[in-house]
Amino acid sequence: MSLVETLPASQRDILLKVDNISLSFGGVKAITNISFDIRVGEIRAIIGPNGAGKTSMLNVINGFYHPQEGTITFEGVPRPRMRPHHAATHGVARTFQNIALFRGMSTLDNIMTGRGTLMKRNLLWQALWTGPAEREEIEHREAVEKIIDFLEIQHIRKTPVGRLPYGLQKRVELGRALAAEPRLLLLDEPMAGMNREEKEDMSRFILDVNSQFGTTIALIEHDMGVVMDLSDRVVVLDYGKKIGDGTPDEVRANQDVIDAYLGVPHE
Amino acid sequence: MLYREAGDFKTSYRADQQTFPIRSERILFWAFIVAAFAVVPFFINDYWEKSVLIPFLVWSMAALGLNILVGYCGQVSLGTGGFMAVGAYAAYKLMTAFPEMNILLVIVLSGGVTAVVGMAFGLPSLRIKGFYLAVATLAAQFFLVWVFNKFPWFYNYSASGQITAPERLLFGVPVTGPNSPPWATYLVALTVVFVFAWIGKNLTRGRIGRQWMAIRDMDIAAEIIGVEPLRAKISAFAVSSFYIGIAGAMYFTIWFGAVEPTEAFGINQSFRALFMVIIGGLGSILGSFLGAGFLVLLPVLLKNLMVGQLGWATDIASHFEIMIVGALIIFFLIVEPHGLAQLWRLTKEKLRLWPFPH
Repeated sequence: MSLVETLPASQRDILLKVDNISLSFGGVKAITNISFDIRVGEIRAIIGPNGAGKTSMLNVINGFYHPQEGTITFEGVPRPRMRPHHAATHGVARTFQNIALFRGMSTLDNIMTGRGTLMKRNLLWQALWTGPAEREEIEHREAVEKIIDFLEIQHIRKTPVGRLPYGLQKRVELGRALAAEPRLLLLDEPMAGMNREEKEDMSRFILDVNSQFGTTIALIEHDMGVVMDLSDRVVVLDYGKKIGDGTPDEVRANQDVIDAYLGVPHE
Repeated sequence: MLYREAGDFKTSYRADQQTFPIRSERILFWAFIVAAFAVVPFFINDYWEKSVLIPFLVWSMAALGLNILVGYCGQVSLGTGGFMAVGAYAAYKLMTAFPEMNILLVIVLSGGVTAVVGMAFGLPSLRIKGFYLAVATLAAQFFLVWVFNKFPWFYNYSASGQITAPERLLFGVPVTGPNSPPWATYLVALTVVFVFAWIGKNLTRGRIGRQWMAIRDMDIAAEIIGVEPLRAKISAFAVSSFYIGIAGAMYFTIWFGAVEPTEAFGINQSFRALFMVIIGGLGSILGSFLGAGFLVLLPVLLKNLMVGQLGWATDIASHFEIMIVGALIIFFLIVEPHGLAQLWRLTKEKLRLWPFPH
């Protein structure tokens, strides 16, 4: 185990810091004045009721939305306004709430596309194929096969993803995000619509990604059991405002969070 | 028997990602190519050249180009005729300005000129999608044809407004102009199409091809995982126009020899190429050839059958020809909306199991 992993989450370096982010669409305020940070190597959950601004927050982090106010600091450097593909080349990958795979392509091609940011050969080399382009392709194929092994999807390697069941599609999507070797992985409801077994599999993959690859993860999830078990720290949003932030135990005890989201168990 | 993958094990990624992973398919392909290069030239005559093989090859080239844009990158274009015109006029200007230039170089450079024009007309694709983009590319179609009619510089101020390809030799044999032997023009067209089909396959199976398909299947997700839409779309327009430009250059230089823009490169040609890729199979190199074959060869076959064999009057035969081809297009699209290439793929799936389907 590396030193980073042995430290408790509170003492690790900060990977990403968002300061006073506000985002509005016309007159609708999606996010109001939110600040939090994500530390290196932790699993950070973002929870809250529907419409709380969780997905908007992820969209801000990977450059898809541009907040009107506030700053984002990634790896100690304040980040300028950027396009999503820049965020991808700077080590931020994500999955989507509704599966956003490339349906006409095979599992293998989907995950290979995720490695596009790491491949360098230009159009002319690729037109020739034989030589450098083929070598590069094989090199990256090996890396992708490791991910395929890791996610246990060898048997669907060449199947068009449109034909796969939902749970497997979610897994392929995780594979596509992992292929880019991100330093920060954003997961938007990785377990939505899954049965218990699939959720357990996905939880295991998330923990393994975190411990084996050392990837920092920020995830949105509605299954409180999963969130409390998986995450090191949780940030709670409601109506675009932050109402809680801390370890799962701290959040669970926070009265605002209970009122807005968790509720109280029936006697 | 014909098509077996049993015992054909892959032990390297290189073997696994080859174009024809199954051995019998590979043998069939190369046998076909050898026949096309080494046998056909000995038997080809003027009729087979000008009415069958050259039209098929030229249209295959155009369909390949359009398939890269529409089938692989998902950007609908109705500007094919206009881009073919750019290829043809670029070839004409190059041939007349540099008489010493090798004809193959002329054809490839014409593709390059068309690529630049195509990139310019591809810029709207960054803002608009689908049918709206199709309408925007229609502007290219009409604008380009208008330009070639309007400015006499393009047709070297000839009185008729036509352009005529001067005779050019390749290895001492004329390949353009009226004196070119059928086998020579056929071999030039075949070589160009073979090389660029191979390049097309290479491009579409690598990183760039995957990025095109990612843009086609889900553009927002593609951008978020690191595909730059500007590069992907403009490169698709460039490569596609390059191919279509080469098709246009061949259409002018080795097929017709003399063209006039309004008729030769009108909107009908744009539709024709688009039908080819839809019928043949979007996102398939083979599909481009099948689609071109369907729309070029079938009418010839029907005409021979009805006029040659049955002895019908030419005008009645031509009406029937249009009706039959139209009906077949509808039939094939109902049976298999993903085109002839998909039919071929399904046939292969069946052959893999034949004769024991369970």
